Amino acid sequence: MLEVRGFSAGYQGNNVVHDVSFRVDKGEAVMIIGSNGAGKTTLFRAMCGLLASSAGEVLFKGDDIAGRPAQRLVRLGLGFVPAERHLFPRMTVQEHLTLGAYPKRPERETMSTVLDLFPRLAERRKQHAGTMSGGEQQMLAVGRALMAKPQLLVLDEPTTGLAPKLAHEAYEALDVLRRDGLTVLVAEQQVPLAMAFSDRGYVLENGLIRLEGTSEELAENPEVRQAYLGVT
Amino acid sequence: MTAVILDGMVLGLQFGLLATGLTLVYGLGGVLNLAYGQMAVISAMVVLFAMDAGIPVLPAVGIGLVAGGLIGLFLDLTIMRPIYRAQGEARVLLSLLLTLGVAFIVDGFLNWRYPLKALNLFIGGGAVEILGVPMRRGSLWASGITLVTFAILFAFFRFTNLGRAVRSVIEDEEGAKLVGIDPRRMLRLILVLSGVLAALVAITRSMVIPVDVQAGFSITVFALIVAVVGGLGSVPGALLAGIILGIINTIAATYIGTFLSLVILLVAAAVTILIRPSGLLGVKG
Repeated sequence: MLEVRGFSAGYQGNNVVHDVSFRVDKGEAVMIIGSNGAGKTTLFRAMCGLLASSAGEVLFKGDDIAGRPAQRLVRLGLGFVPAERHLFPRMTVQEHLTLGAYPKRPERETMSTVLDLFPRLAERRKQHAGTMSGGEQQMLAVGRALMAKPQLLVLDEPTTGLAPKLAHEAYEALDVLRRDGLTVLVAEQQVPLAMAFSDRGYVLENGLIRLEGTSEELAENPEVRQAYLGVT
Repeated sequence: MTAVILDGMVLGLQFGLLATGLTLVYGLGGVLNLAYGQMAVISAMVVLFAMDAGIPVLPAVGIGLVAGGLIGLFLDLTIMRPIYRAQGEARVLLSLLLTLGVAFIVDGFLNWRYPLKALNLFIGGGAVEILGVPMRRGSLWASGITLVTFAILFAFFRFTNLGRAVRSVIEDEEGAKLVGIDPRRMLRLILVLSGVLAALVAITRSMVIPVDVQAGFSITVFALIVAVVGGLGSVPGALLAGIILGIINTIAATYIGTFLSLVILLVAAAVTILIRPSGLLGVKG
């Protein structure tokens, strides 16, 4: 589904991520974990066309999409939910979901799938995004991305700013999506949640991939346990 | 007093329409188009020349509106390219300089070639009484056209997919990209729309007073004041600020004197900005 090879990106000529390679197979859930400032956000933003990359390939369904702008990737089936969510503050829930399917009209079926997944959104169809709580905004950001019927959903720290209970719920929703066959790539600082969710993972440190393995392998790795799971 | 309020509202609707084309382009692209008034004047001249060539009024007005849109498209394909490549503050400054340059060139050319031309679409007939106040037919037509235009604009932004896409770019450009909207195409669309609105401003205005080749800068200045008070980027803000400032202007002109009305408008604008830096219904703040 997605294969990233020798990928480098950053700001104004200073690379933040260096020569990163990883892959996500169809139907998998893959996590990229790392501390604050490890380069997760830069990696995802560059991969998803919001930031220029300086080297490497991003193969999505076999095509190299490196350097293509974000607005073209959506139509290819790559949905991205950034950490800052980028909702439209003075537009309603309904309008967000409708725009999610842009330029097509939203399909009734997709709309009801999303509203079943997030009943809170159904209750708040007329509410403006700017007046909603962090948890609701996160649901809306994911819901908006789902309206385009992506084959791969990329999420950057979906639990940012969420209380533990809501963070848990966010991953429960992602679990439902996975069971329905969606491929998911997630970057996360809240490692235990991501670990329980994903099949495989990569550890990003200072812009480099340091470790990789199945979630079980990573969970038993002493370095990972010490740095990310709070086990000494 | 009723007469003053009604006159103020007529003027206010015109102010609102004036500011809309300017405020949209700013809200969407962070670009202040100081050649806005010149877009209006060129369109007025196109209507005038079409009529001089024997084309009846209505088709001539249609040609003028198309011309306004084409000027917008032309600006988008030329000076907007380097402007949109710049980001943030640099973009605003570059837009000010380049559009001001265009404004001077257009003004210079029109003043040199056609110094005495003016578009005049007065609508004759006796006055019509509204709430006991006699109103000129031209004013009523201009207000009616403006109201219909606003109704169309609101419906476009509320109920059409394209309109919602334009709003999403104003709200969050990155978010718009994430749902597959190309902000650059929305900018082009809005600059064309802005040109059509500028033409409409000139046409409705000429139903009340002649629009001459020197009118460009005063149109831009009024549009700027109203847009800033309403909140740059907000169409409802432009309408609201237009009506408020229109009434203030008329009251000032009636009870204090026309010579001070512009000063009073500027004071009203300054006070609004001091109290609410993002304007009445501002987007960014």
